[in-house]
Amino acid sequence: MTLLFLCALTGSCLGAVDYDQLFRQSSDLMVQGDLDGALALLKQVPAPSAGEDASAFVSSRMQAGRIYASQNATDKAIAVCQDVLKLFPDNSEARNFVAALKDQLKPRWHTVLSDILRFLPVLAKGAVMTLLLVFCTMLVSPLGGLLVALGRLSRVRPVSAVCWFIIWFFRGTPLLLQLFFIYYGLPSLGITLSPFISAVIGLGLNYSAYLGEIIRGAIQSIEHGQMEAAKAIGMSYGQAMRRIIIPQTYKRLMPPVGNEFIALIKDTALVSTIAMVELMRAADQMFNTYFNITALVLAAAIYLILTTIFTFIFEKIEYRAGIYEHR
Amino acid sequence: MNIANQPLLKLENITKRFKELTAVNGINLEVASGEKLVIIGPSGSGKSTLLRSINLLEEIEEGTIHFEGREVGYILHNGKRQQDRPQAISALRAEIGMVFQHFHLFPHMTVLGNVMEGPLTVQRKPASEARSIATEILAKVGLSDKRDVFPATLSGGQKQRVAIARALAMRPKMMLFDEPTSALDPELVGEVFDTIHTLADEGMTMIIVTHHMGFARELADRVIFMESGDFLAEGTPEELFGAAQDNERIRGFLNRLL
Ligand SMILES: Nc1ncnc2c1ncn2[C@@H]1O[C@H](COP(=O)(O)OP(=O)(O)O)[C@@H](O)[C@H]1O
Ligand SMILES: [Mg+2]
Repeated sequence: MTLLFLCALTGSCLGAVDYDQLFRQSSDLMVQGDLDGALALLKQVPAPSAGEDASAFVSSRMQAGRIYASQNATDKAIAVCQDVLKLFPDNSEARNFVAALKDQLKPRWHTVLSDILRFLPVLAKGAVMTLLLVFCTMLVSPLGGLLVALGRLSRVRPVSAVCWFIIWFFRGTPLLLQLFFIYYGLPSLGITLSPFISAVIGLGLNYSAYLGEIIRGAIQSIEHGQMEAAKAIGMSYGQAMRRIIIPQTYKRLMPPVGNEFIALIKDTALVSTIAMVELMRAADQMFNTYFNITALVLAAAIYLILTTIFTFIFEKIEYRAGIYEHR
Repeated sequence: MNIANQPLLKLENITKRFKELTAVNGINLEVASGEKLVIIGPSGSGKSTLLRSINLLEEIEEGTIHFEGREVGYILHNGKRQQDRPQAISALRAEIGMVFQHFHLFPHMTVLGNVMEGPLTVQRKPASEARSIATEILAKVGLSDKRDVFPATLSGGQKQRVAIARALAMRPKMMLFDEPTSALDPELVGEVFDTIHTLADEGMTMIIVTHHMGFARELADRVIFMESGDFLAEGTPEELFGAAQDNERIRGFLNRLL
């Protein structure tokens, strides 16, 4: 065993001594720009016979391959690597190099396409989570907003004061801070919430406050005579709101609410900070793993697609909501 | 108590103030069932405020309102006068129809929807019944062919007739008209007057605020001239508009209208 080890050691030392000079000369030629000369020298290293040390041979051919590659002679680079692989099919250096060279031979769009195919499933999963958050918030916040708006309009002082406070607080502090408070802060008060629930609560409260002010403005913009006419036929305040006033706000609400929901799509990116894997977080993970900008470009494209779809939908709804105004 | 002689509406000492301004100043008024009362008077004299006080759209500071012999609108709570429960107020409004100068139709509902709305939402009638009431009343105001359009497509005169139909659908016991033709082009005034006239002929009790003396003369059992929150004069159309009128202010007002 020891004997064998010694043999190998002396053998390699011998080989190193033999070819050291040659490698140094070829390096000098390379520095001087004489790549052909360097290649010729490297080619002088013969293929090893069975049992003989192969490191000089492999090094020389790999070096030759790198020179060819630097000259964009990809075919020749692959050929020298394959010389190595013929003798040592398991050599991983040669194999990876060939794979990388073959990738270069493929057209550029092909690499981009394969990047896209690699990132898309992960990003799509993230986008589904983003949409889920958006839909939950879109479900919660109009109701919350309506309550806050009606509360603000209430003549019962404590009710309007509480609603004023909610709007003041949630519009006046950053959403990021609110999310941190709910997810990281509440556990110290004994309330521990999952990231998803924390995100929906944070986004829901924030957007309820914003929509609350928008809805209140829309209600107040309805001509006063409408409430009077509703009361004059015997409607209660609640009936007048539900049947007459609020339905007339829909058209006026659509443009600002559409804007808010488009902002919401982008604001969901903030919940990536409280351990939610949505589109932004997924893109960030891909980018950090592969250091490939395609992941970020792809995420931007998905955000744009989502916001564009929403814009179209809200324009349609706005048109439908105001159809009674068309003469 | 003799029900037949009892006025449908009785106002005692009605006073409405907006801050220091007294818009209605201690008005007393009785309106008999079936009576057609016209109120005239210069702008700002408190005519609208009086009508709005009757159906409780304005909260009055003093006075009492009796409708069908019942005191309505206000109750004593711990010795303090305050508005009655919202349900009671709504119930009174449901019995008194009101037509506004600017129509205030519900723009998001069709003509039929506007007229159905009271029976449907306030009286909680089934949709089929509300629809047949509305259809019948639209026929009466001559707008059957407009039942499925939105108010935005109507002329002013048509809008006001729909507003009248909307009030009538509640089967009110009394109608209040606040300058129903003042927002209309002159050529559209006639159709609205005709509609009101038909209603009057059917025996509807009504109070009409209007600047059209010809209409007042033709329709009114009694005319009241109002100024600065007070009733300045009261009488038959002949007494108020006729040559015998010797009040300078009323003569001046009437002359300006002509
Ligand atoms: N909501 C209100 N707030 C303050 N002042 C009002 C209000 N409504 C009416 N007034 C005032 O009360 C007076 C009577 O108004 P109004 O009843 O509308 O008169 P008219 O209908 O006879 O023209 C006017 O001086 C008017 O400016
Ligand atoms: Mg008026």
